[in-house]
Order: sequence, then C-alpha cells, then structure tokens
Amino acid sequence: MNRRDFHRLGSVVLGSLVKLAVAVPAAAFLLTPLRRPKKSGTSSDFERLANLSQLEVGVPKSFAIVRDLTDAWVKYPKEPVGSVWLVRQPDGVDPPVIAYTAECPHLGCAINLKPDGGGFFCPCHSSAFDSEGKPENHVPPRPMDRLEVELTDDDDPHVVVRFQRFQPLAEEKIPLA
Amino acid sequence: MRKSLANWLDDRAGLRSGLRSFEEETIPGGARWRYVSGSALASIFLIQAFTGLMMMTAYSPSSSTAWGSVFYIEKEMWMGWFIRGLHHFGAQTLMVLLLLHFLQVLWAGAYRAPRELNWWIGLALAGLILAFSHTGYQLPWDQKGYWATKVVTNIMGGAPVAGPYLKTVVVGGSEYGNQTVTRFYGLHVGVLPVLMFLGLGAHFALRRRHGFTTPRVAVDPNAPRETYWPDQTYRNLLVVTAILGVMIALVIRHGGAPLDAPADPSSSDYPARPEWFFRFLFQMLKYFPGHLEWVGSIAIPGALFLTMAALPILDKIAPSKVVHFLACCLVFVLVGGAGFLTLESFREDAANPEFQAARAKADQARQRALFLASSPKVGVPPEGASYLMRLDPPTRGGAILEKNCLVCHRFDGEGDEKWSAPDLKNFGTFAWVRGLLEQPDSDDYFGRTPECDGMIEWKRSSKLNAEELDQVADFVASFAKIPPDITVDEWLDTPGVVEHPGNELFQQDCGTCHRIDGYTEGGMRDAPDLFAWGSPQWISRMIRRPSSPVLYGYLEDDQRMPASPPDEMTDNDLKTIVRYLMNDYPMPDEVAVEPEEAAIRP
Repeated sequence: MNRRDFHRLGSVVLGSLVKLAVAVPAAAFLLTPLRRPKKSGTSSDFERLANLSQLEVGVPKSFAIVRDLTDAWVKYPKEPVGSVWLVRQPDGVDPPVIAYTAECPHLGCAINLKPDGGGFFCPCHSSAFDSEGKPENHVPPRPMDRLEVELTDDDDPHVVVRFQRFQPLAEEKIPLA
Repeated sequence: MRKSLANWLDDRAGLRSGLRSFEEETIPGGARWRYVSGSALASIFLIQAFTGLMMMTAYSPSSSTAWGSVFYIEKEMWMGWFIRGLHHFGAQTLMVLLLLHFLQVLWAGAYRAPRELNWWIGLALAGLILAFSHTGYQLPWDQKGYWATKVVTNIMGGAPVAGPYLKTVVVGGSEYGNQTVTRFYGLHVGVLPVLMFLGLGAHFALRRRHGFTTPRVAVDPNAPRETYWPDQTYRNLLVVTAILGVMIALVIRHGGAPLDAPADPSSSDYPARPEWFFRFLFQMLKYFPGHLEWVGSIAIPGALFLTMAALPILDKIAPSKVVHFLACCLVFVLVGGAGFLTLESFREDAANPEFQAARAKADQARQRALFLASSPKVGVPPEGASYLMRLDPPTRGGAILEKNCLVCHRFDGEGDEKWSAPDLKNFGTFAWVRGLLEQPDSDDYFGRTPECDGMIEWKRSSKLNAEELDQVADFVASFAKIPPDITVDEWLDTPGVVEHPGNELFQQDCGTCHRIDGYTEGGMRDAPDLFAWGSPQWISRMIRRPSSPVLYGYLEDDQRMPASPPDEMTDNDLKTIVRYLMNDYPMPDEVAVEPEEAAIRP
C-alpha cells in the first residue's frame, strides 16, 4: 500500500466513523416513540362511567373517558381522552350493558348516532353500523369494537368499562398497547 | 446495472465530473495540516446542523413548553442527552475552531488580493456563528438562557439611537416571553442557517477559485503531486475525528448538556454568567460605567471588526508587510487580553463566596426542577414548566413562609431572632401537639406569645399523665384529616371518632375553653375552635382571616396575627404554603446536590 492508498483508506474509514458516531445516536433519537410505554397503573384499569339507572334500554348514550394524561413531557390531570357508547340491554339479557368505543374501526374518526337513533355512522367516510354495531356497508373492515363491561354490586350498579384502542383497518380486533 | 444507472445520472446531472474536479484539485506544495482549520470548522458546523435538525423534531418553542420539551429530550428520549450534548459542546468547539481559523488566515495574510471578497465573507460568517450561539443559548428557556438573553438584549438596547428599537424588535415586545422564544427559534433554525449555507457556499467556491494560500517557503519541485482527495481529506478527517472524539468525551463526562431550573423572572439572586467564550466581554463590562457600557460591548468589538474588514484596503494604501505586522500584533494582543480577562473572570468568581452561594442555590433549584419533572407524582404541569417551581411547596411555599411568616414565627428553628409566635415545623402533627401539651410555655410554642397564655394556664392545673397526653395529642392530630365539606355531626358519626380514647379527655380538659359547635361547650376562657385544626381548610382560614369568630376574633386587632388577603398572597401561594406546612410534597429518596461543573470551572 502506498501513501496515497493509505490516505484513501484512512479517509473512507475516518469519514464513516464520524458519520456513524452521529447517525447511530440520531437514529435512536428518532426511534424513541417505539419504546415500550411505561406501564402506568390506570391505563388498563376499568373506569366508572355511569349508573345503570341513567341508561334507557336500547338507547345508546355516549360517555367521555377522562384520564390523567401524559403527553410527552406534560402531565394533564383529568383530561378527556376518548368516548364510549353504552347500550343497555333488556332485563335478563347477558351482558346487561354493551359498550362500544366511539373510535371507528375504519380510520379512527369518532362514530356518531344516526339522526333517527337506529344505529351508528361515521361522518368521515360514511361507515355505517346497525344498533348492534354490525357493519351496514363495505367501508368498515369489522364491526364496532366492543369493550369489556362490568357492573358493580351496588343497588344502582355502576357501569365500569375497560377502555382500549384497537388497530384501525384490520379485520381482526387487535388491541394497541 | 449500478454503473449504467450512475452513468445515466451523470449524463444528466454531471455530478461525477463536478466531484472529480474537486477531488483532483492539485495542492501546490502538497497537503498540509495548516489547511485543516476551515474544513474542521465546516464539519463541526454540519454536525451542529444535523444534531440541531434532530432536536427540531422534539423541541417546542414557547415560554410554557420550551423547558419541558428540552427536559424530555435530555432525560427521556433515547440518546437525547447525547444529541443535545453534542450540539452543546459542538457550539463551544465551533468558537475555538473559529478563532484558530481566523488567526491562521490572518497569519497567512489571506485577506490580500485576490482573496479580499472571501475574507469579508469569512468575517460575516464569523458574525453568523456568534448569532447562532446567542440565539441558541436562550432556547431551553431555563434560568441560564433567560438571564443571559436578558443581558445580551439589554446590551443591544444600550446602543446609541437605534438600540432600544432594535431590542424591542428582537425580543418581540418589551417583555420576555412567547414572542422572544419564537423569534429566537426562527432566527436560530431558519434565518441564520439559510444565510450560513449561502455564505459557506460562496466561501468554498472562492476558496476553490483561489486555491489554498500557499506558505512563503520555497516549494520542493521534486515533491510528489498531492491532490485534495485523498491527501488533504485524510488530514481533515483525522483532525475532525479527533475533535469529535473530544466532544464525545465531554458529552459523556457531563452526561449531556446542562439544563437549569425553568426561567423565573422573579428570582432575585440568579448568578447569570455567559458561556466561557464570552466571559472576556462579560469581564470587560465590569470596567465600564453603566452609561458607557456600549463602548465596551459594542464600540470596541465593532471597531475591531471594522479594522479587520478594512485590512484588504489598508493593504493597498499602506506598506503591505507593515499592515500585516500591525494587524497580527493587534489581534494577538487582543486575544491575549481576552484570555487574561477570561481567567480573571473565573478567578473572581472562584474567590467570591456570594457567587458560590448563589450558584449553589441555583444548583439546588436545578436539581429540584429535574426531580419534579421526572417524578411520576408531579410532572410538568399543563400551565408550563415555570409552574413546576411556582407550585412546589419546598421552593415557593418555603419562600413565602420565609417572607411573610418567619417575621414572627419560626420554622424548624429558623427565623427572626426576636420571634414572637410558635415554631410551625410539623404544625398539626402528633409531635407538635404533644410538645405543646408537654410544655406550652416553651419558646417553640406559646412562651413568647402572651396573647395565647391560655394553654400555659391550663398546664398549671392539668392533672393528665403522659399516657393521657399521648391520647389527647393523637386525637387532636387526627383533626387535620377531617375533610373540608363535613359537618361536626357527620364527623362525630365517623367510625373511630367517639371511640377514640382521647375523645373524653379532650372534652374534659380542652373542651372547657375550646368550643366546637355541637361537640364541646367552651366558655371558661376565649380560645379558637379546633374543629379540623391543622387541616388545609383550617390553616387557610387562619392565614386569610385570623379575626374570624371561630379563630382569634376575641383578640384585639394589634394582638392578633395579621391577615393575608388574596391581593397579598394568591390562592396558589396559599395552597402551596399549606402543603408545605403539612409536609405534603414529594422528595427524592436521597438529597444529593452535585455542583454544576461548568460553573466552577477555573
């Protein structure tokens, strides 16, 4: 190897070294959002939304999910993070209340009640669902996402719901972390 | 395939031939280490641009979000400390390289024809780098950046005639706030980089046009022909690698870049100091009286800058060698003087105990802010990072307590020497009540408060033994947990209240003076109502309105604790001081304040 070859090799090696020393940390920096979220105690807990007596049989009613929210560096106490449709079922039917997330399985817009109250529709791309959350056209990839519901043992039971998000566009209901 | 694609591209863009002419640039006399300074400067600048771009994806410019987002970069994001650290130490490295490049170019006399234009462009680029440094320093909106910006913009405002207008435009008004951050941010990441890249492009193009300024020594005609690539690039990259190595070592040693407590315009003792490379200016300002300040900060550096800009012209009208000799003398004397002033500044600080104390206090605030922001119980509030400290009981609560209360009260033995009211440390707890019941005439309780001699009188006649006193103290200490919206009857119905062993003793011994409506009679002597004593609602009322009939309404106005109405103590401050008194705030497991190294560097 002559002097110029050595300079050539040295330039390439050192140049790569300098670039890597900056690029690798930068890649990690940009990929921070892929980090597993720290398990916060409340995220998967059931949340109390309403008393059973507040719901009429067969009439969907929407309730906000209010949570302590951490948005990057800011901590918001009690911030609405989403909403849920609760539909009370006739007495004796199990489960007594059905909860749908208002997030559309198509592309995540907020699902509203149809003006006549007989089913749901999404104002973004006109996904339509019947009152049981089944798709009424080909836009949504799957039925409305049902959430786990429980009733407390009180005289007038509280409806508690486990709020979750699911992957949009998938035909299966895949929970997001 | 790869080759044909490359050919296709080259046919249309001509990139390869352009690059080749650059690579094959012959360097007369061969590659040299002394040609490295410009490339090193440019390379570190590129690293600055790149790390800066990275941080732009995470930084949020506003007075309420800047500190929080920088905290997030520094402490939460993967390698954020490294990226920000590189940018921080890279800025300082640029200053050093800038000086070296300048000295070297001056020494080589590279301002002479035909390089006059490039000399001027270089001077302009130096000005841009200084502007980068000033605008970037402020962006974290921490104490350090806030006060440094205040000083620099006030210097600008002190310039004759246009100064005040210029300052208002740069600051975005007369107050430092959102507009200041967004303007500085816009300059730092938009305006300055565009100017910088335009200037750098011209600087390079002209450098290539004129070639390197070859040394005056005779060139050996038999030396092997050397070209820019790879002979000079090898030298450049070796130096850049070494510089980057030093930067990385600094970043690792310091664990990133420093972040002070969030900006607090009300702090009275923040020891603002510029970064070390501006220390000489900072020190020089001390020698000028206030109204001549602009001479030291603007006229002298401005005159030097103009002299340098005039060199190519002076070179034409005066003997060239004399001009060069004088210019070098001037600059080397000034650089030496600046070095001396820098050392002097650090020496003065090192010998100044007041500075050390203020810096230690600022370090404590910094540690507290970082702890609070990362504490899962606190975090940066939506109102902004400044509320992190403004709502923090030990910080803000302690400060209000000291200012408003410790004139008469004491707190953990601290306070005015002529105190006349109880020590408030652990007020409302078992320990406090038990101590009072044991020795009410102690100086820590009512020993210096003749208006409250009722407890002392009680102690003289009381026959309660130690165990009974424990029970009463335990019972009274439980009052602090009575919720705010509850009546006396509801409280008495709460399990554990009536059954408490202290209940009966309280009614017999305390209830004869302390009346609680619906529970104890009182009447023997005047005394405050003890319902929910020591709770936030009780303490708040005591601070807002001690003259309330359920408190010390029976005393004359001049005998009583003065009230603090909302215009003297805001609701937030009241809440904060109550939390401080009730020890209701998170503390790190281990309180260890490590001094910031940058501050005590010699």
